[in-house]
Amino acid sequence: MLSLGFSTVCQAFIIRDFAPGLRLAGFAEMTPLLAANVWEIMHGGSTHLPIALMLVSAVSDGLGYIVRTDRLRERFHIAGFIMLIAGTLGVLPAVLSGLVLARWEIGGSGALFWHHIFVWPTFGLLVGLSVWRIIVRGRRSRPGLFIYLVFAFLAAVLVSAAGFWGGEILLGSS
Amino acid sequence: MKTAMFELKAALCAVFAGLLAVGSTLGAAMLISQSVLQTRSATKANADPVVQPALVTAGARLFALNCSHCHADDATGDEGPDLHGLTKSDARIKAIITNGVKGEMPSFKKKLGDADQAALIGFLRSLR
Repeated sequence: MLSLGFSTVCQAFIIRDFAPGLRLAGFAEMTPLLAANVWEIMHGGSTHLPIALMLVSAVSDGLGYIVRTDRLRERFHIAGFIMLIAGTLGVLPAVLSGLVLARWEIGGSGALFWHHIFVWPTFGLLVGLSVWRIIVRGRRSRPGLFIYLVFAFLAAVLVSAAGFWGGEILLGSS
Repeated sequence: MKTAMFELKAALCAVFAGLLAVGSTLGAAMLISQSVLQTRSATKANADPVVQPALVTAGARLFALNCSHCHADDATGDEGPDLHGLTKSDARIKAIITNGVKGEMPSFKKKLGDADQAALIGFLRSLR
């Protein structure tokens, strides 16, 4: 949560200083007129960390699947598990701020539509994968883990696609 | 076999949790969106006075002289934002014209009196 907050604040200032054309205001300049920017900053700041955590979690579990050393394998899976849970927790503020930003629009049109097409399955998949990992913990079989990995990599692809279309909304030419 | 069954049961729980999370989020968003839309249309219906043509003409002249430089001649936005379909109250618009927006828009307190501001708001309300 601390790192999420830190990431949000950092990105707010990076956007303000390096992309002033986006018309985002710094915290000191915020006024009710620019209230929408709070959500833009929150959404921008809260999305990147879960995306990164999801990707690295899938890679970590994938490595855990292929390495032969028991100790190393367990460490990769523990790292993957922690990152998955942290990523899923991080998705909650990202989804909430995104919904407020989109004025509670769950579909939309153009880039927003495609963003949502990928966001909703990703959200469900992340929650599902986290629940499965929490329930199963160490009592998983190798085929079970393989199926989990297929879905984890699918979630990684979906979250990347959602991120791509999110970027298109903000910076795309259309 | 026992582990496989256990994993399958966990998978069913996971599917249920995933569907529940997405379903409840989408449902809540749709409900809120519906209620926001209703509130907006109710507010608009109450606050939409019949704008007098003379007021709009005067407001358009004031807009061309004071605001079009930043908001574009047709008020679709340039350096400043698009002013079509504003959802802010008259009082809020008046406060913005009077006080400006720090770092974004100058104050028009000394330049535009109450009557001018009313005309300007009338013109802005006529923009659809």
